[in-house]
Amino acid sequence: MASTKPLCLPRRSFPRRTTVCRRLAEGEQILSGGVFNKQKSHDDIVTEFGDSACFTLSLLGHVYCKTDRLAKGSECYQKSLSLNPFLWSPFESLCEIGEKPDPDHTFKLTSIQNFSSCLPNTCTTLVSNHNLSHRQPETVLTETPQDTIELNRLNLESSNSKYSLNTDSSVSYIDSAVISPDNVPLGTGTSILSKQVQNKPKTGRSLLGGPTALSPLTPSFGILPLETPSPGDGSYLQNYTNTPSVIDVPSTGAPTKKSVARMGQTGTKSVFSQSGNSREVTPILVAQTQSSGPQTSTTPQVLSPTITSPPNALPRRSSRLFTSDSSTAKENSKKLKMKFPPKIPNRKTKSKTNKGGITQPNINDSLEITKLDSSIISEGKLSTITPQIQAFNLQKAAAEGLMSLLREMGKGYLALCSYNCKEAINILSHLPSHHYSTGWVLCQIGRAYFELSEYMQAERIFSEVRRIENYRVEGMEIYSTTLWHLQKDVALSVLSKDLTDMDKNSPEAWCAAGNCFSLQREHDIAIKFFQRAIQVDPNYAYAYTLLGHEFVLTEELDKALACFRNAIRVNPRHYNAWYGLGMIYYKQEKFSLAEMHFQKALDINPQSSVLLCHIGVVQHALKKSEKALDTLNKAIVIDPKNPLCKFHRASVLFANEKYKSALQELEELKQIVPKESLVYFLIGKVYKKLGQTHLALMNFSWAMDLDPKGANNQIKEAIDKRYLPDDEEPITQEEQIMGTDESQESSMTDADDTQLHAAESDEF
Amino acid sequence: MPRLCSSPSLLFIPLVVRFSPFQVSRWAFSPPPPTSGCSGFNGIDNVSNKLRMTTPNKTPPGADPKQLERTATVREIGSQAVWSLSSCKPGFGVDQLRDDNLETYWQSDGSQPHLVNIQFRRKTTVKTLCIYADYKSDESYTPSKISVRVGNNFHNLQEIRQLELVEPSGWIHVPLTDNHKKPTRTFMIQIAVLANHQNGRDTHMRQIKIYTPVEESSIGKFPRCTTIDFMMYRSIR
Repeated sequence: MASTKPLCLPRRSFPRRTTVCRRLAEGEQILSGGVFNKQKSHDDIVTEFGDSACFTLSLLGHVYCKTDRLAKGSECYQKSLSLNPFLWSPFESLCEIGEKPDPDHTFKLTSIQNFSSCLPNTCTTLVSNHNLSHRQPETVLTETPQDTIELNRLNLESSNSKYSLNTDSSVSYIDSAVISPDNVPLGTGTSILSKQVQNKPKTGRSLLGGPTALSPLTPSFGILPLETPSPGDGSYLQNYTNTPSVIDVPSTGAPTKKSVARMGQTGTKSVFSQSGNSREVTPILVAQTQSSGPQTSTTPQVLSPTITSPPNALPRRSSRLFTSDSSTAKENSKKLKMKFPPKIPNRKTKSKTNKGGITQPNINDSLEITKLDSSIISEGKLSTITPQIQAFNLQKAAAEGLMSLLREMGKGYLALCSYNCKEAINILSHLPSHHYSTGWVLCQIGRAYFELSEYMQAERIFSEVRRIENYRVEGMEIYSTTLWHLQKDVALSVLSKDLTDMDKNSPEAWCAAGNCFSLQREHDIAIKFFQRAIQVDPNYAYAYTLLGHEFVLTEELDKALACFRNAIRVNPRHYNAWYGLGMIYYKQEKFSLAEMHFQKALDINPQSSVLLCHIGVVQHALKKSEKALDTLNKAIVIDPKNPLCKFHRASVLFANEKYKSALQELEELKQIVPKESLVYFLIGKVYKKLGQTHLALMNFSWAMDLDPKGANNQIKEAIDKRYLPDDEEPITQEEQIMGTDESQESSMTDADDTQLHAAESDEF
Repeated sequence: MPRLCSSPSLLFIPLVVRFSPFQVSRWAFSPPPPTSGCSGFNGIDNVSNKLRMTTPNKTPPGADPKQLERTATVREIGSQAVWSLSSCKPGFGVDQLRDDNLETYWQSDGSQPHLVNIQFRRKTTVKTLCIYADYKSDESYTPSKISVRVGNNFHNLQEIRQLELVEPSGWIHVPLTDNHKKPTRTFMIQIAVLANHQNGRDTHMRQIKIYTPVEESSIGKFPRCTTIDFMMYRSIR
């Protein structure tokens, strides 16, 4: 976690580290006075930690949740969110523990007070600093042409300063450049900038939405309905490092921030206000540069268009909005970067006429804010109040836009965590395209399809994610399971290889690798990889679940039970683990336990037709056939595409001797899945019961044909028994009478099963 | 691992006892080669016929058991069993028998019959036994008469299969079925080498694998589904 205020650094990073090292009690002690001592109330914490109380509370909530105190944890999260609605991770955690926070209520700017506390660097400080610090460049700027050069230099410098990684060297370099207005250092400064730009992966993201979404209240905030220079303005182009004029907007504002950065504040802090201001600055500058056009003609060749740099300003700005010098800056900005794909083409298409700002008086006012041009500075006698308020309003407008985006995303995420998958897909699909085509959003949608068992769709979405962000590792474990279901072994091999090559320390990569080998039926290797995933991250519930499934496949049911229980310990809402437990009890014929566990899974995920189907079968095994039929009907209503529900309904009807309806069901099923041998097998059995042996034989032979591996000797035995009296309980002597060579496989017919199970239960 | 020499009279006391871990030598993420259909299965019939006939025809090799595994109808369960040998030369013991490496082998060091005992924790269904034997490399050490016995413990073994090998050169698939033509359910399997080629005293055995049938589909007592459409909805993972 990045440090926030230097004061807080030792205090905050230590608790975070201890949480990571799972020394939760220690962390709690530090934050709130310990488990056993008198605990501070939330208000105490707020006063103690001041601005970073929201993060403290978020951490504390995490500690509580991990130590099974969910109520206290959710309380902490709620308080944290109320203090700072820009935080996403407490909201996420709340959704994951099963609470249903209201996104509309959470993500809104309730009061100016809140707002300013979230964004401690208000314009006031900025502007005053700016006034002070601009003395130095001011002296350099004697003429307008040089001013513009200076501007550009300052652009570069301040943009550079935003890249905190590379800041020191570049800033110091540019310092000298500032002093001597040459083209050479400018050029190199540009090259430094472009180099830095290249270092940043995918930094060329902008927050600007399409030209249509101009209101700050839509998620495409960041577009201020103020004048923006036209891209086609030639002289404009000459004077700025970036050919798309709009992009210059923040960069021209950058110089203000440069000075701020010099004052020792982190560059990120200043981004926001500056970019807010810059919008108004640009037109003025254009006006000026237009006048000085011919003189600056020498600059263009030096200035390479670094298109990506100013857009970087905007993402940073929004990251500022999110984080407000918080330690979650990195995590959120990462998310943001993922959410806002490059919008360079859109910006280019935005051909607003250059409003020049020549005639608009308010521009002149706002011009005072940035005071880039020395002439303006010298003229500027305006007070700083109006510009401050203007800047503040801009901040607020952008923040509102941000909030609306957060609301939408919050609704979508909440729906997904409550397993309202269809609704989640709906909400998230309505995000604007530049937010939609980001790794995080698409992963959530993919996961929603996965939970709906629509694996084809999920696979499509996930492959899109891989195309857009092939470095993304989160969410890929779901993709690997999707491919496992679809049995696409080549794609799965590729995915697991890529992921393990990219990041050996992520549990998702090892889960994908394990899935790959599980698909190849090399269960021992799969087990090894899942154990590795657990080693890498012991708090990753899905690894335990997958390991449990592998143990089930290798018939080590005790170990499987332990794994599923571990998964539930880590995440009580992991319905896959509850399902796994139910499956084990079903295998052990403990049907009521199985039903209980399936029901628990269903409580968490009520829309899963597979779960309902299993419950139906278990209820049938418990002789509650009516209930079973009801459950299966419900399953079919929820997901008409699930063929297994219909199949099991048919088998229940068959067991209850409702042959006609069973046949009807199976005929429908034949239409849906014409190549499934099981369907013909069951039809054959029904016909046999009805005495129509020809049809029975025909269907059995079809079933055998459709089963190329010849493993289903049940079918062969069913054929062999066709001459027997209608008796679904074949006795071994009769099989002896048959004397077929080929039925060597284990018989799965009912009688033998019961015998087998009886023998097994004796053994246990 | 301490090894004791056996005394000829104590044939039934296992001396080398070990849980053999299933060692993995493959690391590549490459997709599997396409299964070669049912050749392995055809091999069983041919082999069993030829074994009965004891003609000068050599025992043909069966398919690689890995392909059996890929059909998802059987599963190798040697790792769930305790393996023991009647005798062995140091460095040529159970580990070499179970290491998935055809170059290493078990070499016995006592008198005949040489025994391989496989004991399960619980009564297990076993379908096929696969033995790798190669006359060209082992010559007089190659087993020629093998007896497979099953039972609950050492005193309770019954022979269910006897096979004669004539210059084998690969995998031998031995289906283990009981009187009712179903896979045997047993606690213990004993493979006894009764005679070797050229009347050799000791025997080499390079690899042994034991397979159990995979249980059918997860829910309901039905045979396995064949289409992905069904299999997708079969379980939640």
